[in-house]
Amino acid sequence: MSVMEYNGGSVIAMVGKDCVAIASDLRLGNQALGITSNFQRVFPVTNRLYIGLPGLGTDVTTLRERFRYRVNMYTIKEERDIQPETFAHLVSSTLYEHRFGPYFIEPVIAGLSKAPSGGFKPFIAATDLIGCLNFAKDFVVAGTASAKLFGVAEGLWEPDLEPEDLFETISQTLLNAVDRDAFSGWGAVVHVITKDQVVTRTLKGRMD
Amino acid sequence: MNSLIQRYAGSSAASQQRRNVSTVDDDDEFSDAMWGSEAGFGSLAKGVPSFMVPSVPDPAAFLRLHTDDHADPSCKIKIQHGTTTLAFRFQGGVIVAVDSRATAGSYVASGTVKKVIEINPYLLGTMAGGAADCQYWETYLGMHCRLHELRNRERISVSAASKYLSNLVYSYKGMGLSMGTMICGWDKTGPALFYVDSDGTRLKGDLFSVGSGSTFAYGVLDQGYRWDLTDEEAQELGRRSIYAAGHRDAFSGNTCNLYHVKEHGWDFIGNYDITTLHYDGPGNVSGSPGHGYGYEIRVEGQTSANPPEVVAQA
Amino acid sequence: METSFALTGKGYVIIAADTTAARSIVKMKVDEDKIKELSSHLLMSYSGEPGDTIQFAEYVERNIRLYQIRNLYPLRPAAAAAWIRRSLAESLRSRHPYSVNLLLGGYDIADHKPNLYWIDYLGTVVELPFAAHGYGSYFALSLLDRYHNPEASLEEGLATLKRCIEEVAKRLIVSPDRFKVKVVDKDGTREVEL
Repeated sequence: MSVMEYNGGSVIAMVGKDCVAIASDLRLGNQALGITSNFQRVFPVTNRLYIGLPGLGTDVTTLRERFRYRVNMYTIKEERDIQPETFAHLVSSTLYEHRFGPYFIEPVIAGLSKAPSGGFKPFIAATDLIGCLNFAKDFVVAGTASAKLFGVAEGLWEPDLEPEDLFETISQTLLNAVDRDAFSGWGAVVHVITKDQVVTRTLKGRMD
Repeated sequence: MNSLIQRYAGSSAASQQRRNVSTVDDDDEFSDAMWGSEAGFGSLAKGVPSFMVPSVPDPAAFLRLHTDDHADPSCKIKIQHGTTTLAFRFQGGVIVAVDSRATAGSYVASGTVKKVIEINPYLLGTMAGGAADCQYWETYLGMHCRLHELRNRERISVSAASKYLSNLVYSYKGMGLSMGTMICGWDKTGPALFYVDSDGTRLKGDLFSVGSGSTFAYGVLDQGYRWDLTDEEAQELGRRSIYAAGHRDAFSGNTCNLYHVKEHGWDFIGNYDITTLHYDGPGNVSGSPGHGYGYEIRVEGQTSANPPEVVAQA
Repeated sequence: METSFALTGKGYVIIAADTTAARSIVKMKVDEDKIKELSSHLLMSYSGEPGDTIQFAEYVERNIRLYQIRNLYPLRPAAAAAWIRRSLAESLRSRHPYSVNLLLGGYDIADHKPNLYWIDYLGTVVELPFAAHGYGSYFALSLLDRYHNPEASLEEGLATLKRCIEEVAKRLIVSPDRFKVKVVDKDGTREVEL
């Protein structure tokens, strides 16, 4: 059995009109055995930036701690919030530092970046476990249900969704994809990021 | 290493078999028409009628090489596996409960599999392991149970039926059949339950659970089982046990199919969605706890915190 | 097979671990204590690779003690769990990782809550109302889903634990026959007889 499938779990991020959303399931298992239905793998980085860390459970915790440390150092030095583009490169280089003994995590990043005009621009990105960046304009997926998430997202996503519609789209995509994956599910959490707030909702999912 | 030697050594059983297979292949050059009517017996020149076998040195090893996805997740053929099935005997008959999930690797291939095979109106078989193997051989068993009835003017006993199946699958031992089944029914002796698997094991018993989720089912089943359970209590126990497995085991779930075998034959009690059982329970049925089976639902609002009692301030 | 269980109740955590020390097919010892008292309100059961288990448990024990000596106050359960997790996670990517699975049970005297942490050899930590390690978990977790009560008295909690032990004794092929049981609550840690 693959290390990437040892604990299970999946994350998806989507772009909307002046908003982004990131969602994850809540299962942590030991292969086929479910351990908890309350394992958070999506974390806030700034007020407008979130990161999802699907993959090996221990590395979820380790990387969360590492990123928190490095972002705090950045914030203290620069006296400003880190921008999603910058953070994506920080994630990428952090992972590549471990090129020959990687963290078994495929991060997904979602946030709003400050435009020169003063407005905010949606930003999503994902990397593989050694930090190859993938910037997308529509959606990114990762985790044990990634193949299933791609399929559903290709069918449901459309451009310029308003925050409420984006919430519905990402929720339905995640919920239906993880129902076809044995290692993901057991509830879900969705964050919708707009320029002045983040709405977090916990969803009831299939519990089998 | 041993298996390699066996495969390529000239005098091994495997190469003997390869020669036999190629003899059969040669016979295929004659069309059936040359022999006229075969009267249902097949061409005796081809020997006893048998299944098609891959023409490789060791067909069983060949199949194992390409289907065993525990050893090799990237293999080409993924046999559907992962299941929870249970059956138990009690004062009021036999309860049979199963889940309905079929997985191929981590992919949930189906959530609506019928894992209880209705062999005839008073015999049920359960399905774990190879779906096709169970379906085919238990249907085949049904055919022979009917023939027994016609020949002997009485119903076959559950013991005899299960022995028939056991002998049948044993004759294919080592060929890659995979089934773990429970044959349940009611005969002259009363409620009867047998476990039969493709190793050739056949066990008479009061309580069995088979499949990847069986341990979880046993955890609940053993604790709630008594011989003098009422019908409602027994049905609830079967349902609750399958829920437990569906919840904890990644390869079990979706829905629970519940059957009750009584003197007049089996009754289908119902189909229950595992998630509905988790959040809301089985609904308005006798034996229902009146709330969801889920742990978080059952203990909602309760806390393990133990703060000292606050002394009323003067 | 090594098996350990833990469950929380009203103001306490119970941890139970089997007492066999096996080597190959031989039981070397039948009364081994595999639950350490890390501090006045903290218990830790350990299982896994022989040698690693004791080495790591003693390493944790001494460091938790050192912290208390240096700072006058012991680590709270959550902090201890985080420190132990990090030790395991760092060890995982070292030349010789520890293969140790832990159950960490503590009573937090600051907020009067019992805490139970499930920790595996990879450094995965989860806080749970009940937990198990080893093959016993495949039988006990579904049982506890059904019978565990977060507000149970100690007697009820021990009765539930007994169910787990009896179930494993009934179904596991090579089941452990004796368990050592320890409790931590507001009064500290102590051993109890089942």
